[in-house]
Order: sequence, then structure tokens, then C-alpha cells
Amino acid sequence: MKEDFSVTREEKAFDRLRLVISGKIWMNNADTVRRTLIEQVQSEPLKNIVVDLKDVEYFDSSGAAILSEINLLCKELGNTLKLSNVPPRIQSLLDLMEYRPVESKGILHPPEQPNIIEQFGEGALAFAENARNIVTFIGAAAAGFVGDMLRPRKLRWDDLGKLIERSGSDAIPIVTILSFLTGGVLAFQAAIQLRKFGANIFVADLVSLSIFLEMGPLITAMIVSGRSGAAFAAQIGTMQVTEEIDALRIMGIDPIRYLVIPRILAIALIMPCLTLIAGIVGMAGGCFVAFLYLDLTPTAYFDQVQKVLEVSDVLKGLTKSFAYGIEIAMIGCQRGFQVRGGAESVGNATTSAVVTCIFVITVTDAVFSVIFYYLPSIGS
Amino acid sequence: MRWAGVILEPKDTLISVRNLTMGYGNGVVVRDVSFDISEGDIFAILGRSGCGKTTLFKAIIGLLNPIEGEVFIDGDKVLPVLEGGSERVLRKIGVLFQSGALFSSMTVAENLAFPLRQYTSLPEELIEKIITMRLSEVGLEHAARMLPSELSGGMQKRAALARAMVLDPKILFFDEPSAGLDPVTSAELDNMILKINETLGTTIVLVTHELPSIFKIVQRAVMLDPEEKTVIADGKPSDLRKSQDSRVRDFFTRLGSEE
Repeated sequence: MKEDFSVTREEKAFDRLRLVISGKIWMNNADTVRRTLIEQVQSEPLKNIVVDLKDVEYFDSSGAAILSEINLLCKELGNTLKLSNVPPRIQSLLDLMEYRPVESKGILHPPEQPNIIEQFGEGALAFAENARNIVTFIGAAAAGFVGDMLRPRKLRWDDLGKLIERSGSDAIPIVTILSFLTGGVLAFQAAIQLRKFGANIFVADLVSLSIFLEMGPLITAMIVSGRSGAAFAAQIGTMQVTEEIDALRIMGIDPIRYLVIPRILAIALIMPCLTLIAGIVGMAGGCFVAFLYLDLTPTAYFDQVQKVLEVSDVLKGLTKSFAYGIEIAMIGCQRGFQVRGGAESVGNATTSAVVTCIFVITVTDAVFSVIFYYLPSIGS
Repeated sequence: MRWAGVILEPKDTLISVRNLTMGYGNGVVVRDVSFDISEGDIFAILGRSGCGKTTLFKAIIGLLNPIEGEVFIDGDKVLPVLEGGSERVLRKIGVLFQSGALFSSMTVAENLAFPLRQYTSLPEELIEKIITMRLSEVGLEHAARMLPSELSGGMQKRAALARAMVLDPKILFFDEPSAGLDPVTSAELDNMILKINETLGTTIVLVTHELPSIFKIVQRAVMLDPEEKTVIADGKPSDLRKSQDSRVRDFFTRLGSEE
């Protein structure tokens, strides 16, 4: 490709070099112009260099940047650099951009990371701060909850209705589909083994117990974490960014009571309902597979379920889901309140809300398993 | 001859708005608007709140699809940005959004580097140099490594201006540049706009209702009316102020009553 610029060397004396640039210096050829000029300047050190710009047809900010870089380079090499015959428009641009040999190296690199001990210390402080925030938040939420229970007329019932609709009713289709499939998959996996022993009928035991005790509450909790936990974090986080939370505080309204209590109540109420739906539909999924694959009639399947599944099993599952509900709402809201800054912080809060929910739900599940094991009176 | 991204032939038409009708859903917000903007002008779109200034502004830069009509920038038709836009047009314009619209996950320097890396193949050293010079131009060289959330409103506006200018656009668009700024910062921004226009000949298009700014920097303006939903006046601000039309006069006399 033909170059759209040229640099001519004119050596007036042994220590003077005149570089006459003609053509264009713009972003399209800036890299080549820069390399050519650096080469010229570096080729013969200890010179008084003059860059003549009278034949330059076009010049943009990349030209100003090149001249600034060359100027700095000359300074480092002990040379001098002067511009001559600078057309007024180029001079205006140079003035506007405050042309001088300015140091810019590393401006795009992040500042150096502190050493490992400092990082460890900062991490520990952040952890302590986070723990403190969570404890404070739980305390504030509990106080708000008690306050609202003492004066139920103050609770925002309209909002509670909307939240139940959005987090509960709207989640029914996805809960139904996923639990039906899970029930089906459980039955299918069990059937492969049970068939070998002619124990087809026990597929009903396996599906009904696992779906009511474990899978139903867990699937529902995962879906609600992803839908509502994330939504709460994003919504409250954005309200934090747009100063809506500050506005509430200034109006003397406690944002915890205004935003968090209705959400906790809504999720705590809808979780057992969704879990019950998940249990029934999951059992139906198991029945569907048992009918197709094991030639088990629905009557035989549900007779077996009736024998093995006790009301206490269903209640255990619902108790768990109630606890998960409180956790999901609390975590979602707390992460939202933690947001500082802008869009990225909202994104981080949302991610953190979902991950924390899944973690906490799994831990809670383990705790419940232990409790139910040691307190058999609750169960059978 | 072209200097610093600007062709120097006197007063050629650079932006041409032809029979533009804009709206949302079934409602028309701006109806049958036509005007030309000359090269090197500081041009303003004026009007009361809700008259469709921002809608018209977004249509000119291609952020909104018009119901009818066309916009040409330097002879190229403005295509909807949502459908990819026209690179030829996008390279010629820089936009300063009302809130600055700096990317919050990037430092100020990275915000400026972003368009340079997207549109040019400049080496990193030169990108760093351009950014440093652009930041010192707006007095923010110390803030290069800061995140937008660590900057004040005025600083964010200046950083956003530096980003809008980083590719040497022929036209700079400003959506309510003074919104949320104190009078001193606002006046500084006005001076900066004037300086850019005078030294580089960059065409400036503003949406504003700040009367001091209008009288200080704007050379020509069109005024929209919320009832008529179209342009009701076109001319120099000093002439519009003496308009026979009471709607136009009312807009400007607010300053008169304050003086």
C-alpha cells in the first residue's frame, strides 16, 4: 500500500537534523509515522532535531500524541526537539491537547497489587465487615418483622400480594415442568435397578419419599433463588444506586421494613405452596414413567404411595422449604443493600445473591437432615 | 483541506434532517421536522420539557427509528444503531450523554481507550499518550486510574467529553450538558465547548434549556413545541428572544425576568 505521508531528512550541520513531514498524520497511519520518526531520532543521537510540519495536509490527535512521544524520547536521549512551520490549525490542536513531553506509560495498567500479607489482611477485614453487615441486617429484619407483626396495619399488604403473584404464581409453570421431569428421571433411574429384582412397585416409595423430602424443596428453592433472590438483589441494588433507598430514609421510612419484610413474608409463604405443587407433580412424573416403563398402573402406584408416605414426611419437606424461603429473601435483599457504585456492583450483588442462596440452602438441608435424624419423634 | 477531522470549506451543510416524524407506539412526539445544520456551527435543539427534544436528538444520531423521514450526516444516511448503524457515520460523531454514560466497570483511562481499541489499530503506547493528552485537556490527568463512581458529577461529564472526543469526531452531540452541574462547572463546560468549536471547527449539536448557555455559545437553534409537536422557530437565540410568537418569547423571557 502506498504511504500517505513522507519524512525527508535534511542535515544542515553535523549536530542538526531537520525532519520534514508531508502528507497525513492520522489514526490510520499513526503507527507507521511513529515508528519512522522514532527510527530517525534514535539513529543518530546528540542532535538538535527540528520537525517541520509545513507540508502536513491532515493532522489529528494521534499526530499530537506522536509528537509528544518523540519529544519525550529526545529528552531522554539528551537531544532537543523543536517544531517549525506549524500551521495555525495544528498549533490550535496542539494547544488544546496541551502538547508537551508528557509521561503516560502504564496509565492503562491497574495499580500494583499489594503484597500477599496486605491482601490477606484486607480480605480478613472485608470478611469481618461482611459478617457484621449480615448480622446487623438479620437483627434489623427481625426487629422490623416483630414491629410489623405488632402493628399489622402498617404492613404493605398490596405489595405483599404483588410479590406473592410475581414470585409465587408466576413460578408455578417452571416449578411444574422441572419437578415433573425430576420425578420422571428419578423413577426411570430407579426402574432400571428395581426391574432386575422384580421390585417394580417400590419405585413409588423411592419417588414419593425423595421428591417430598429432598428434591421438591431443593428444586423449588433453586428456582426461587434464581428468579426472586436475584431479582430482589438487582432491584434493591439499583434503588441503592439511584438513591431511592436514601430517599426512603430521609422520609423517615425504614427501608428494611418497607422493602425487606414484605419480601421475606411473600417468599416464606409461597415456598411451601410451590414445594407442595412440586411434590405432587413430581410424584405424577414418577407415575407416568412407571406406567410407561414398568407397566405399573396408576392405582397400584398411588396405593403404594399411600402406604409409605406419611403426613409427617410432607410436613418435613414443607418446614424445610419455609426456612429456605426466609433465607432466599434475606440473602437477596441483603446483597442488594450492599451495592455501592454502579452497574457492575449490581451485577456482582445479583451473582453473589444466587450463589450464596444455593450454598446456604445446601447447608441448611444438611442441618435439617441431622435434626430430623436425631428427633425421630417429629417424624415417625 | 482537512484539519483535525474537519473540512474547512465555509458553512457546508453537514447534517440534514428531512421530514422527520418520531413517536412511540401510536403516539407521535415530533412531526414533520426538517432543518439543516451547517459545518462548524454550534446548533441547539430547544424547547420545554416533554416537547420531544431528546427524541429528535436520538433520531439524529440513529438511536431511535423514525416513523417517517431521514437524516443525513456528511452525505451519509443515518441508519438505526440498533441494526448496526453505519460505521462511516458513527466514526464522525461523538456523543456526550446526559448522565455521562461512562462504563462503570472500567477506569477513566480504559473508558477512553475503548473506542480507540475498537476503531483503530494504534499501538498501546500511542493510545496511552492520546488518553493522557485528552485527559489533561479536560483537567483530569490525575483521575486516569479512577473508576467513574469515584468521580464527581462535573468530573464525570468532563471524562465523558474526553471519551466523546477521543476519535476526533467532526460532530459532537451533547444531551443537556449542564444537567446536574453547578453554574461554575456548567460555565467551564460551555467554555470548553466553545474552545473545541473555535480551535478545531468541530460542529456542535446541543439539546438544552439552560438559557445562559444558549446565549453564550449557541449560534443557531430550532425550537420545538409540545402542543404543535414540531419546530415553531428557527434562528439565532438573540433573534428568537424577540420573536412575535409568545410561546417562543415565553421560553426566553424567563431569563429576562431574572435579569
